[in-house]
Amino acid sequence: MNKSKFLMVPVLLWAALFLLIPMLIVVVVSFLSRDTLGNVVFPFSLTGYKTFFDSLYLGIYWDTLVLSVVTTVVCLLVSYPLAYYIANATPRIQTWGLILITIPFWINFLIRTYAWVLLLRTQGIVNSVLLHFGWIHEPMQMLYTKGAVLLGMVYNFIPFMVLPIYVALEQMDKRLLDAASDLGATRWKAFRHITLPQSKSGIMTGCVLVFVSTSGMFVVTDILGGAKSMMISNIIQSQYLGARNWPFGSALSIIFVVTSLILILLFNRAMQSKADRAKEGTA
Amino acid sequence: MKRKGIAGLLLAGAIAALSLTAMGGCSSKESLHIYSWADNFDEDVLKDFENKYKVDITYDTYANNEDLLAKIKAGGGGYDLIQPSDYMVATMIKNQLLEPLDMKNIPNFANIQESLKNPAFDPGNKYSIVYMSGVTGIAYNKKYVKDKIDSWEDLWNPAYKGKVLLLDDNREVIGMALKKQGHSNSTTNEGEIKAAVDDLKKLVPSVLAFDTDTIKQKMIQEEGWIGTVWSGDAAFIVKDNPDIEYVVPKEGSTIFSDNYAIPKGAKNKELAEKFINYMLDPQVSAKNYESIGYSDPNAKAMPYHSEEYRNNHMINLSEEELKRTEWLGDVGETLQVYDRYWTELKSGRE
Repeated sequence: MNKSKFLMVPVLLWAALFLLIPMLIVVVVSFLSRDTLGNVVFPFSLTGYKTFFDSLYLGIYWDTLVLSVVTTVVCLLVSYPLAYYIANATPRIQTWGLILITIPFWINFLIRTYAWVLLLRTQGIVNSVLLHFGWIHEPMQMLYTKGAVLLGMVYNFIPFMVLPIYVALEQMDKRLLDAASDLGATRWKAFRHITLPQSKSGIMTGCVLVFVSTSGMFVVTDILGGAKSMMISNIIQSQYLGARNWPFGSALSIIFVVTSLILILLFNRAMQSKADRAKEGTA
Repeated sequence: MKRKGIAGLLLAGAIAALSLTAMGGCSSKESLHIYSWADNFDEDVLKDFENKYKVDITYDTYANNEDLLAKIKAGGGGYDLIQPSDYMVATMIKNQLLEPLDMKNIPNFANIQESLKNPAFDPGNKYSIVYMSGVTGIAYNKKYVKDKIDSWEDLWNPAYKGKVLLLDDNREVIGMALKKQGHSNSTTNEGEIKAAVDDLKKLVPSVLAFDTDTIKQKMIQEEGWIGTVWSGDAAFIVKDNPDIEYVVPKEGSTIFSDNYAIPKGAKNKELAEKFINYMLDPQVSAKNYESIGYSDPNAKAMPYHSEEYRNNHMINLSEEELKRTEWLGDVGETLQVYDRYWTELKSGRE
């Protein structure tokens, strides 16, 4: 039992070297100043953090949160029925379903996103087909809109939602459903009181994965949104590169990590207490 | 239970795939390490150099000047030759990141057009030599744009709403609006910058997309009808879509260049200088620029160029057009002002 602890050493070293130390550097830089050439220099300063509370950056942060929450909710609504179907299908369909969901991940993320450009652009496949059948008379502007951004986000992160929910549903003791039905519960009642609470851990994992991935994303807004909106990651990137203001970029990163953690904790707590209340109710 | 294992594995694979990056190989022979833009040289010309001097060329690429600066500043790379743009040469000189060039090793420097020697960002060519240059102008599609186009004002024409393309670059776009109002594209006067940005805010609702890397495709595919495009890119676009026309607006515009430079501490400085000299040979130059399609700064190379190349007005801009252009100068601390206004423009917030 004790020996198995040593198995953790490589992972811990890896995490320390490539996660902890760079994070610490970012924390330190976020409290420093920049000189006129864009170098990071002493003295210590809180300017980076103060700048964030400018309505401009607060507003962009709000936009980022809204897009992330909407993406997460849409992902959940699309993924739950899919995960439910796969978890209750025959073993053969289950295996194939899982493989089909993950196949897109074998293709580079950028290529998958550019593929949507080919589909959605004015001379793209969707417009050509619709025009050919006379369903529309002028090409629709689908690309470089907010809708295209949401589509790209949801498309890219659906597997992150489906897989955890599937695992939770698959693990569930199906005999509980039989018992419920024997005791006269309708299928909807059984779903609400048994299946949904049992898949809660999957929903939570999926939501956190999708939320975190979306809020840190900036390529999708650039490629499918025509770079017409800004997410907090766009700002961080431009502070590190174009604007050469590393202290501000670092401060934004730290604020971003901390607020994300707080939001996830709040979310977990909300889900937990709801489940507890549900348990008390049934007891 | 087993299937749960599969799902976990697939999920892990999915996450790993997101963070996968490619890694390049390396070689042990004496070599010239070039760090430049993608597809910036003719492959054959590079091979000829390798054979002539019995060396290997390693060629790594970057997508923007800021990546280049970050890497050189961090002391990484071990590169012998880099190709920063005009304003980046100035920044790198200020940061003492460049080696002075030894012109004794580059006698072919004499072949460069007079107008491209001694630029404002590097007086006396102490650290850099121009590799290619171009200007920012308006490209438009004659199929959709019927009016006469000769001014930046034309981008604001409501007839093109939703079809305007702008470069995804704060200095370029704000510089364009400054030019439109008759100011320098590198002003440090905040009032002038604010007025230009207010003007741009009226243009933003017409904008289809901000794009630098793939703006060519958006013009070729006729996603956009009119936009700010670099002259070299315009020459590229016309090859695939002959309906595209190009003008340098009457208010004047921005001229830019990519340059040869040698980073501080380069191991093979002399070899890098030899390479620059070789590239400035008139015949080599003609072969190289004919292939990559940019304008050739080599005054002696013109006789070796094809008729088609010589007659292309997007590659060879007229004296009169060039007179209206201005380099983007280093704006020092005002860069933070430009960046903030740019963020306002793109986010639609204040």
